[in-house]
Amino acid sequence: MFYPVLFLLLLSIIGFYLNKNRSVHLSKNQKLASLPAYYGYLAFLYIFIPAIILWLGLLIGKSIILQKYLILILDDSLSVMNSDEINLFLSKVKNLSLGISFGNESDLEKFAAEKIKSFDKIFSLLTYLVLTLSSIFAFLIARRKVIPNFKSQRIVEKIINRFIQICSFIAILITLGIFLSLVFETLNFFSYVNPLHFLFGLNWSPNKAFVIDSAETIDKDVLRDAFGIIPLLGGTLLIAFLAMIVAIPLGLMSAIYLAEYAPKKIRNFSKPVIEILAGIPTVVYGFFAALVVAPKIVILGKSIGFEISSESALAAGLVMGVMIIPFVSSLSDDVINAVPQSLRDGSYALGATKSETIIKVILPSALPGIIGSFLLAISRAIGETMIVVMAASLQANLTINPLEPATTITTQIVTALTGDTEFDNPKTLVAFALGLTLFFITLFLNYFALKIVKKYREIYD
Amino acid sequence: MTNLIKRKKAERRFHLYGIFAVSLSLLFVLTLIINIFSSGVGGFYKTSFLMEVHFDQKLLKLEDNPSIEQIEDASFRKLISYNFKENFSQYSKDELKKIKKLFYRKIDREAQGYLLQNPEYLNQKVELLFTASTDIDQIHKGNFNRNIPENQRAINDFQLGIYDQFVETEKVKSVFNKKYFSSGDSRDPESAGVASSVMGSVFTILICFLLSFPIAIFASIYLEEFSKPGKLTDLIEININNLAAVPSIIFGLLGLGILLNFFGLPRSTSLVGGMVLSFMTLPTIIVACRSSLRAVPPSIREGALALGATKNQVVFHHVLPLAMPGTLTGTIIGLARAVGETAPLLMIGMVAFIMNVPSTPLKPAVGMPAQIYLWSESAERGFIEKTSSAIILLLIFLIVVNFVSVYFRKKYEKKW
Amino acid sequence: MVNAITTENVNVFYGDKQAINNISLNFLKNKVTALIGPSGCGKSTFLRCLNRMNDVIEICRIEGKISINDLDIYNDDIEVEQLREKVGMVFQKPNPFPKSIYDNVSYGPKIHGFTDKKTEMDEIVEIALKKAGLFEEVKDRLDDLGTSLSGGQQQRLCIARAIAIKPEVILMDEPCSALDPIATSIIEELITELKESYTIIIVTHSMQQAARVSDKTAFFHLGNLIEEGDTSKIFTKPDNQKTNDYITGRFG
Repeated sequence: MFYPVLFLLLLSIIGFYLNKNRSVHLSKNQKLASLPAYYGYLAFLYIFIPAIILWLGLLIGKSIILQKYLILILDDSLSVMNSDEINLFLSKVKNLSLGISFGNESDLEKFAAEKIKSFDKIFSLLTYLVLTLSSIFAFLIARRKVIPNFKSQRIVEKIINRFIQICSFIAILITLGIFLSLVFETLNFFSYVNPLHFLFGLNWSPNKAFVIDSAETIDKDVLRDAFGIIPLLGGTLLIAFLAMIVAIPLGLMSAIYLAEYAPKKIRNFSKPVIEILAGIPTVVYGFFAALVVAPKIVILGKSIGFEISSESALAAGLVMGVMIIPFVSSLSDDVINAVPQSLRDGSYALGATKSETIIKVILPSALPGIIGSFLLAISRAIGETMIVVMAASLQANLTINPLEPATTITTQIVTALTGDTEFDNPKTLVAFALGLTLFFITLFLNYFALKIVKKYREIYD
Repeated sequence: MTNLIKRKKAERRFHLYGIFAVSLSLLFVLTLIINIFSSGVGGFYKTSFLMEVHFDQKLLKLEDNPSIEQIEDASFRKLISYNFKENFSQYSKDELKKIKKLFYRKIDREAQGYLLQNPEYLNQKVELLFTASTDIDQIHKGNFNRNIPENQRAINDFQLGIYDQFVETEKVKSVFNKKYFSSGDSRDPESAGVASSVMGSVFTILICFLLSFPIAIFASIYLEEFSKPGKLTDLIEININNLAAVPSIIFGLLGLGILLNFFGLPRSTSLVGGMVLSFMTLPTIIVACRSSLRAVPPSIREGALALGATKNQVVFHHVLPLAMPGTLTGTIIGLARAVGETAPLLMIGMVAFIMNVPSTPLKPAVGMPAQIYLWSESAERGFIEKTSSAIILLLIFLIVVNFVSVYFRKKYEKKW
Repeated sequence: MVNAITTENVNVFYGDKQAINNISLNFLKNKVTALIGPSGCGKSTFLRCLNRMNDVIEICRIEGKISINDLDIYNDDIEVEQLREKVGMVFQKPNPFPKSIYDNVSYGPKIHGFTDKKTEMDEIVEIALKKAGLFEEVKDRLDDLGTSLSGGQQQRLCIARAIAIKPEVILMDEPCSALDPIATSIIEELITELKESYTIIIVTHSMQQAARVSDKTAFFHLGNLIEEGDTSKIFTKPDNQKTNDYITGRFG
């Protein structure tokens, strides 16, 4: 798939050397406006850039054309199938053309696969042809610019600057992409389920939505009570809350101790070790939560006489809290260290103890930053996926009891998309609606965190 | 006076809280690591039994001096059955069946492997190591309590008796599990390995790096050196800061919605996985690169400009190289984070059962974290150990990466 | 005349470097003593020993005897919080807490447990602010942030803060160096008033200031005490040649 790019790269490099040598040759007799290398770079860019755009265009166009082509030649065979069967058919023959087969393909499918293969071959040749032609054309133009007066360095630098400017837009593109993909499919979802029922519904049982034959249309009334997000929000907040109960005291106190009390050796040792907690992949935490912590909690509960679920919010929440400790700790540490020494001196000079100074002077001064770090930590907890997927439940449950099972928004996103249902079903599409909700929640939290930090920073400067 | 005593007591308490908090956090780290290592170390070893095998040529239906292909085509099932009968002739048919269950069900393949490597074994009687079944493996390693009532275990008393006999006659060995490193996923814990997921992760991170690193550097250069303050630049900055805080699963949805559905890229491949992770890693590298660029003192830029260099030359020849160490450190950190990511890859389908090691980024693949996830979902006890072993490998890799980045940082940290 | 603070054979080390060499110096009660000398000669370091602020710095080591009311302040029996109740400090750069003016002044009394009642605390704050000459300017905005005041006002706030806990001695480490001339003169006037109730030890860079406000002066150079005595004598007819050179501006 990418061999044409390598081919193009080769052509561009050849163009570079041809132009460069030409200008070196020219420079023996007269002074050139730029160094020879820049004439070479010019050729490289002139060849590469238009051609890569063409290549991308061909790539995108190819799949569209291929689809249309197949439908055209197989029209009568496909007309008996509905849209789902057609999609299945297309993906099957696509796989077949790549050599992935399960050995039970019909003759029609084999025929279609062969057609795809020959189409691919022709298209491939076309691609190479187009690239070669455009390269030659571009090179001829670049060649003509190898003259003394032409300031190729300036042009090359201009092109590069334009390119890096575009690169910086990528961030916007990504956000736009996230937005588009989420919003588009969410709207799709809302064609099945009323947004109000989604946002305010108290019942989450998506399984109602799939006991349906694909030939029938989905009964909208049944869906009314199936996709209420409230229990998910409840579970997410419950588990995040439990995590904060662990992370905030431990994280903040650790930060205070390491910043104000600890001797240098202990600080230099402890800080990186606690940071390790942040580097451990969340899937490891999830594994630990599900296979070690949850069973121990169940046993503990039994010994006191409580019936604790093996998928309790407690197990997931506690482990998530441990994961978040370094977030709170290192952000708080930065903020505490930023408090000027003069404030500490002023407090000590008045005869305050260390703890009094910390509690009454340092923390209030650092408060905006610390709250900011809490908000960021909460945001992290809300967006966390693997720990809850592995340790929490799949069962929606609106409760504040940490000993009961609960599920979160992120868990349901994973469940919705790793099932067997086809794409165009509300059961699958709800993942995007959930994702959009999650996106907004975390965006909000992060925005607030930044705002609070900014607002109170005025006190200092 | 008592006021002072109270205050002093409060001070001491507070100090103790601090020590307690740090100790507890350190304890968590310790517990996690010890737990993982103790449960996973065993996975690098597999239990095997020594058994004498007679490679009877007739049973294999092979000619004299058979070729490699002929050996590969031969069926070793009958051979194994025959050898069991020979080795355990004193047992009934029923009991033989039970004894067979002590072994990995594919030991015929193992016998085949031996013969392929040593064709001279033909018609010889050789004592060779054969993999035990996962249940025995776990019992031998002590992961499974054999003292629970018979009806609650997979291995019954008779089988345990045979196993004990093997132990007494020293026919049980713990062998280094090479297969763990060379094979892909499998339905049997005995033959499951990490090779396919390691390759999957390698490809994914490679693509992530190739995409995010150059683009991030170019974007940073633009923002720090060339951009003029204005609404557009502000918008870009806001976007970058936002993206850094978006939960990783959202990037997976982005991949699903746009890369898979709109562009029709192949599902479950490292290519798409790498692209999704690069969206996530981009902001991290940009932040690191920008702060490194900012740290380069203006005197360097001014010196180069004064010599007649163009702005481009100043940036690319002088400033960027000096900002590289800091940028690379941030890149390594970002990539290390990406290695451990699971959720976004689940969204684009990189969570399938991958037996074969992917040869290109365009083949279906699974990453190490996703493999860990899949194995942990399995009910078989043997997979729990394999999961822990995979986690050990992953953690070792991350620790190494971290040390490298700290070393880099210390070595090239220039204090202006 | 009584000594408020006596010091004997004080040596101060920062790690291996010696900052103060064997200084013995006494401070008279209810008088203003100025410590003068060129930059880096140890004046501030010495001053910080008097209220054990150097304890905050890990590598600092102090030898010798410093006594207040015949008690060695480096004795293990003495609680440093109590010491600092008796010996207050005002710093070079005004450092009010980012709290309200009221809370800045009431901070000290609160932690030392002077009173629980709001009315009593109000009185304490008012008296302290009046003594620092700030009350009239801020009486209507006691809830405003201390950091919203001008530089001179902030420094007076810091003085009020120190006074509120009823110290015997007030240490001032170049209190006017960050202030403009008008604010400086206000504070100098304040010092002259304050010495009726407190012993004041002031480190200053400005010889003119020392001449203006102090009764006694001590001249430091490179960690050594060169000369000390009545201010008028030091500035007109010093005994030591080095003192003379400094006074006349030969070095500084």
